[in-house]
Amino acid sequence: MEETNKQVPVTVLTGFLGAGKTTLLNRILTEQHGKKYAVIVNEFGEQGIDNDLVVDADEEVFEMNNGCICCTVRGDLIRILSGLMKRADKLDAIIVETTGLADPAPVAQTFFVDQDVADRTKLDAIVTVADAVHLSTQLTDHHEAEEQIAFADVVLLNKIDLVDESGLEVVKERIKKINPFAKIINTTKCGVSLNEILNLDAFSLKRVLDVEPDFLTSDHDHEHDDDVTSLSFVSDTPLDMEKFQDWFSKLLQTKGQDILRTKGILDFTGESDRYVFQGVHMLMDASPMGKWPEGKERSSRLVFIGRNLESMNLKEGFENCKSA
Amino acid sequence: MKADTNQFPELDKTKFEQRGTEFKLGIPITNAVTVGNSIAVGFGDGTVRIFTSGKSSEPLKAHKGIVLCMSKDGDNILTGGDDGRFLNISLDGKISEIGNFGTRWVDHVTAFNGSLVCSSGNIVYLWSPNHKEPKLFEHNSTIGGIAFDAKGRRLAVSRYGGVTLWKKDYSNKWNSSELNWKGSHNKVIFSPDGKYLVTSMQENQLHFWRLKDKIDSAMSGYGAKIKSFAFVDDSKYLATSGAKEAVCWPFDGDGPVGREPICLPYVGNKLVTFVEPFPNENAILTGLSDGSVFLSEIEKASNTIIIRSFTEFEVSAIAVTKDCSHLLIGDMGGNILWTSIWDEEKK
Repeated sequence: MEETNKQVPVTVLTGFLGAGKTTLLNRILTEQHGKKYAVIVNEFGEQGIDNDLVVDADEEVFEMNNGCICCTVRGDLIRILSGLMKRADKLDAIIVETTGLADPAPVAQTFFVDQDVADRTKLDAIVTVADAVHLSTQLTDHHEAEEQIAFADVVLLNKIDLVDESGLEVVKERIKKINPFAKIINTTKCGVSLNEILNLDAFSLKRVLDVEPDFLTSDHDHEHDDDVTSLSFVSDTPLDMEKFQDWFSKLLQTKGQDILRTKGILDFTGESDRYVFQGVHMLMDASPMGKWPEGKERSSRLVFIGRNLESMNLKEGFENCKSA
Repeated sequence: MKADTNQFPELDKTKFEQRGTEFKLGIPITNAVTVGNSIAVGFGDGTVRIFTSGKSSEPLKAHKGIVLCMSKDGDNILTGGDDGRFLNISLDGKISEIGNFGTRWVDHVTAFNGSLVCSSGNIVYLWSPNHKEPKLFEHNSTIGGIAFDAKGRRLAVSRYGGVTLWKKDYSNKWNSSELNWKGSHNKVIFSPDGKYLVTSMQENQLHFWRLKDKIDSAMSGYGAKIKSFAFVDDSKYLATSGAKEAVCWPFDGDGPVGREPICLPYVGNKLVTFVEPFPNENAILTGLSDGSVFLSEIEKASNTIIIRSFTEFEVSAIAVTKDCSHLLIGDMGGNILWTSIWDEEKK
């Protein structure tokens, strides 16, 4: 338990070039004065950053040599975070700014894969800054834009003063279709209260318990197969643990590349504890999280964000896990 | 339980702790390097301290943030820091800047007979004696480690996907060849006899190449990343951290392929975080994640003695003076033990 307090939170800022990442970064750094931040930026950053401790990174994506092709990590982050943890003064937080075209998965996976990084730091949240004017086009043209929305815990929908109300609704619907769990915050010039983007602990299993997705009833007819979408399932019938593990591990092994994020709370037959998990591609963090609250209905909830989800027979697979 | 142990604190101290000097500095120790009969220590606040028998050790402000790496060139200390500087520090504390890379970290430093080398990002910089401008060696990824062989004719540079081996021909021109193995390679060393090259990887394993025929193989089975490894007794064993035992692979004869390592166990069942060969002996100093340090003979584990008891912080540096009179232990909690090794030095 004590270990958790020693972990320095890491916030990842993603978003396309020109969306306003650096504006947000500089706001965090000037408003949180008195706190010690390390900022890890790519050398092709947009503008100057006003902080004592700025580290240049190269966004080196490394494949792990463990036979899992989607298991990639940011080698530069491992090096820099391990170095920063040797500092004499304790950092309050670390902020990683990615380049516009970066896929957030290797950043997130770094915190699952590298034990030193996981021991001393924790991924706090992925915050994606999106340009309300250009996001729709970017989502159509670049799969990286979809991934940045898919991985986001918070989407800062910026420059809303430059679109009309109906235009704003269209963009928001588009975001929700990709990722119904991200909190969307409307801003102009990244004007957001910092406690809405910092110290969210969004990757902790505890936070998975808060997941209450809007179950969208949108039809999927007009989508291309490779669009990122999400699917959610609920069951009031308890699940069979063995069947579930068998189905789910096979699913991740074979489709892990297309499954970007998963979250779930599971009710297993014969178990008094709630089982909670969350994952990025094939990597998974899972644990029992205490007893089910008394007087509340037990139910299993499962959420997928990814590509080609329709082809994975997820509904059928999930139904088959129900205890007979 | 706790009250009992506090009642007789002296009983918990080893004879080395009683004999030596303990410093509780509270600043993580990142490196230690032996320079003759002195030991230079680098810290997580950018300072360097030099320990010499009979002298006090004052902090020298070398880098702005962290001393990331250290080496030596003759009687001089070389350091690289997160302030982008590559420094030369003399034993009397004079600091001079060799190179400055701004916001890019200097990750690795080494030297051979006045040729000073550092890496920053994916480039290795080599200053030949009497040259003001460095020679640049570019690589395809950020560099994980650099090492000269014992003769200074070969420079190994580990990186993502393997090792680039730079060889100096007789007209002093450097030519490169590649040793490839999938994955990210960190620290690299040559065996003292020059026959083998060993790297530690991002995965919990080591990789080695036999240089005469480029045969290569992995050494795996570790529970953690291998942060520290070194050849012992010329090139007879490779001692490694990363497990709850000090794992020592045989490198004599035809090397380790098909042979079992010798595993030295320690009380407490903690992870080995640092290994340092004891000079001129078939023995190693082993530091654990709880701060304790042991001296073991590799082929006679029963001869293990405790040097330092636990501090709760992982051992991050061990060094022995050239004359084998003193040793220094440092950990991530900023605790140092500086002690004479032999009884007769007792004051």
